[in-house]
Order: sequence, then C-alpha cells, then structure tokens
Amino acid sequence: MTNLNKIAIINMEGVSKRYLPDTLALYDVHLHITKGEFVFLTGPSGSGKTTLLRLLFCAEKPSVGEIWLDGMALSSITPSQLPYLRRKIGVVFQDFKLLERHSVFENVALSLEVTGLTGGHIEKRVKQIIERVGLGDKIKRFPPQLSEGERQRVAIARAVANRPQIILADEPTGNLDRPRAKEVLSILEELNAEGTTIICATHDERLYERGYKRTLRLYDGILNSP
Amino acid sequence: MINPYIKRAFSDLKRNLMTQMMTTAVVALSVLIFIFFYFIYLNLQHVAEIFGAELGPVVFLKKDVPAGRIPDIYQKLIKLPGVEAVNYVSPEDAMNRLKTFLKDEKDVLEGVDPDFLPPSFELKITPAFRDIGNISSMAGRIDKWPEVYSVRYGQEWIGGLEAFIRVFRIIVVISAFFLLLTAAFVVSSTIRLALYARKEEIEILHLVGATRMFIQTPFIIQAFSQGLVGSSMAAGIVFFCYLYIKNIVAQFTLLGGIGLYFLPWPHIVSIIAISACVCAVWTAFVIRKSLVQ
Ligand SMILES: Nc1ncnc2c1ncn2[C@@H]1O[C@H](COP(=O)(O)OP(=O)(O)OP(=O)(O)O)[C@@H](O)[C@H]1O
Ligand SMILES: [Mg+2]
Repeated sequence: MTNLNKIAIINMEGVSKRYLPDTLALYDVHLHITKGEFVFLTGPSGSGKTTLLRLLFCAEKPSVGEIWLDGMALSSITPSQLPYLRRKIGVVFQDFKLLERHSVFENVALSLEVTGLTGGHIEKRVKQIIERVGLGDKIKRFPPQLSEGERQRVAIARAVANRPQIILADEPTGNLDRPRAKEVLSILEELNAEGTTIICATHDERLYERGYKRTLRLYDGILNSP
Repeated sequence: MINPYIKRAFSDLKRNLMTQMMTTAVVALSVLIFIFFYFIYLNLQHVAEIFGAELGPVVFLKKDVPAGRIPDIYQKLIKLPGVEAVNYVSPEDAMNRLKTFLKDEKDVLEGVDPDFLPPSFELKITPAFRDIGNISSMAGRIDKWPEVYSVRYGQEWIGGLEAFIRVFRIIVVISAFFLLLTAAFVVSSTIRLALYARKEEIEILHLVGATRMFIQTPFIIQAFSQGLVGSSMAAGIVFFCYLYIKNIVAQFTLLGGIGLYFLPWPHIVSIIAISACVCAVWTAFVIRKSLVQ
C-alpha cells in the first residue's frame, strides 16, 4: 500500500459514504489512480458517481475509510489548507455552479483570481480558454443568457483555467450534441496529454464505448474496477 | 494584491447599490444624531465658559463711600485668592455703558443724575477658581465688608447651565452608545442578508479554492467605505446647519459675544475614522461568525 501511495495521485482505501438517515451512497471503495491517467467513471443514475467526486475535493467527508490526494491524507486537511488543495483540482460540476450575476469572462477568471493573480496577467489566458470552448463571441454574456450546453462549456473553461493537476468532470457532456461532446473530450484529452490527471464521470456511452481508456463502473455504491 | 480586492468590492457595491445606499443612510443618520448632540454640547459648554469668565462677581459699593477709600478696597480685592484682575467702574462709566447699550433710546436718561448708579468693582476669577461653590463663599465674605452694598454673581443661571451641561454630557454618551448599537445592528443584519442572498456564490467561491480572506475582504471594504461616506455626510450636514445658524446668531447683536463653534477638526476626523473602523471591524466579526462552515 505504501508503494502505491507514492505513485498514486488519488488513492481511496475502504471508503464508504453514508447519507443520513439511510442512504449508503458508496460502499467499501478501493481506488488507485496514477498521475497522468484518464479514467471514466460510469454507472446508472444514483450509483454514487457525484458522491465519489465530492469526496475527492472535500465537499464531503467519508463516513469510513481514508483518501489520499497527491500523498496527503484528506482527513488531516485543516480548513485553512483546504483552499490550496482545491486549487490543485479543477471541477466541472454536474449543475455547473456558475455565478449568475457575473459575466462569462468573470466566471472563468475567478479560478485564477482566487489564487491571487491580477487582471493583466489573466486576461489573455482567460480569453484564450473561452475561445477554445467556442464561446468567444459570448464572453460578456451572463449565465442566464446562455443555453445549457453553453453554460456547461463555461464550467469546463473555469475548471481548466488555472491548469490544475487533477480535473474532476461530472457529466461534462450531458447537454452537448455529438460534435460539441467530442470537442469537450478532445479538450480533456489535450490536458491529459500535458500530464493532467482526469476523472470523467458520465453515462454517455459515446465517450467510453471505444474502450481504450480505463473505465470504472459503479453499481449502487459498489465499485467494480477492472 | 489589495487592488483587485478593492475592485471586487466596488463592482459588487454597484450590483447591490440599493442595499448599500440604505446602510450608508442609516450610518449617516446615526452619526448625524450623535454629531448634532455633541455640537450642542460643545456650544453650551462654550457659553458656560464665556459667561463663567466674563460674569465674574460684581461688587457694588454703598453710594456714600468716600473716593479716598476706593484704592484700599481695590487692594483688598486683588489680594483675595482666586482673583485674577479687578476693574473699577465709576458711576460715570456705568452711565456711559448704559447709554451705549440703549443707543437710540438714550434720551430717556436725559437729566438723570449720573450718581444714581453706584460705583462697583468687576472681579475676574482665575480659571482654576471658577467654581460656583468657591465664588459664592467668596461673595458671602465680601458682602460683609462695611463699604459693600451688595455682591452679584451669575450663580443662578450659570450654575443651572452647568448642571444641565453635566446631564447633557451623560445624554451624549448614552446616545452615542445606543446609536453605535443601532448602527452595528443594521450593518450586521444587512451583512447577514447579503451573505444569505449570496450563499450560493460564496459556496462556489469556496469550491474553486477561495480563501476566507478572499471572500470576506470585499465585504469589509464595503463596510469601511459605508462608514466613511455615511459619517462624512453626517459631518457635512451638521457643518452646513452650523453655517446657517451662525448667520442667524450673528444678526442678534446681544448674542454677538457668544458666537457659535463647530466641532474641532481633529474631533470630526476621529469621529469619521472611528465610524469607518467600527463598521469594518463589526462586519469582519459578523462574517467570521456566519462564514464558519
Ligand atoms: N446530500 C445528500 N443527502 C442524502 N442523499 C444523497 C445526497 N447526495 C446524494 N444522495 C444519494 O446518494 C446516492 C448517490 O447519489 P449521486 O449523486 O452520487 O449519484 P450519481 O451517480 O451522481 O447520479 P447521477 O448520474 O444521476 O448524477 C443517491 O441515492 C442519492 O439519492
Ligand atoms: Mg451525479
């Protein structure tokens, strides 16, 4: 196990998550993901995909078990360390979690601003990423003025903007048509090629059907890892 | 580092302009009431001081006191403890003063014997000795001198004024306390409302890795500027009221000697600085309590 810890960027040991009063969302999950891996996490709705990702960026605490992220035990993270841990992780939320009263630009810039970078430095990079997800002409719009698919792409742009070590994408193509979905996948693959570790939760078979990537399957909170 | 915080604070301020203006108005009103009380207090104190100094005891002599005794009495008075200066007012001087005071109506004094006014001494009391107790016992002693007809001093109303000022000072302090409480309450409830209205936004900020400092600093900058703007407005309003009243007061020649005084500038600056800091510190405190996840 100690050997595995060294090469694994994500390591879950015997993790269970119980929601009160009686939901067992995850049961005895053992998971090792090495640096630079691209992993699909699949399973039916309600099987615990989002819960697993939420555990990884400390939005929830496991009921049982321990998680190591880049060698750091998450149970030992203090509230003041938490922001710095989260900056290493880019998250594409299933419900996007965009700031409604901030423009597309401001939403994407946010993940850089929280790290203390100022306007001049980030503007070019933010614009570049927004172009990359195909929203260059809507940079000044606000989330309520965008379609579902466009909002999803803003969420992706924000998650990747500060070049995190790990990207957790929760249904990043849920609202996209085939060409758009492929494009999102190619953005993720590009980042992966640069060394970013990626976990992509989805039940979109178009993404993982080709089978050349490791695919984890969750059923009722139980992980069948190949 | 501080610059983007200020930028965020003010772009945020623009988004919630209405609430921000309401809070600023409440701060302004609270500080206004306080400054106004304080202004009245300072001016009353000033009046009491002027009259306390100018209306020293006046010693009226009997009319039959021979002129040769005057220097002796002068020497006796000037040697009394607490007496700073003594001014002799002859019956003629007194008559001339009366004529000046009456101005156009001075004809009524035509044919009046200038000796009908008694000669008197005006005493100026040292500031340290200016106390109603001291002055009344001194007056009592002088009154027993054989040459003295009577001693007058502004005991009744100066004493009354001073007692009133003492009560007023307590009112100022208590009102400051309650106004501080009101302002703090309003500021903290607007902050709570703002935090509540932006619960989701704050949660998102947490999720993308914002520190608590990043989240709370704009709120604190906003509160600071609300305190700054609100209290400056209050000081400005009182200042313009002061200019207006001063003009009216100046038209009454009788009150001419009193004048009206605005708060000293260091006091104004301190009140503004304290208001701004209290708003900021109180906001930081409220956020600290409500942001604990
Ligand atoms: N906050 C919560 N409180 C209680 N139960 C929860 C909570 N969040 C999730 N659950 C339950 O935990 C289980 C797993 O939910 P989760 O959101 O992880 O599923 P999912 O695989 O992401 O589903 P989907 O594909 O629909 O997004 C579900 O039964 C869900 O009802
Ligand atoms: Mg989900």
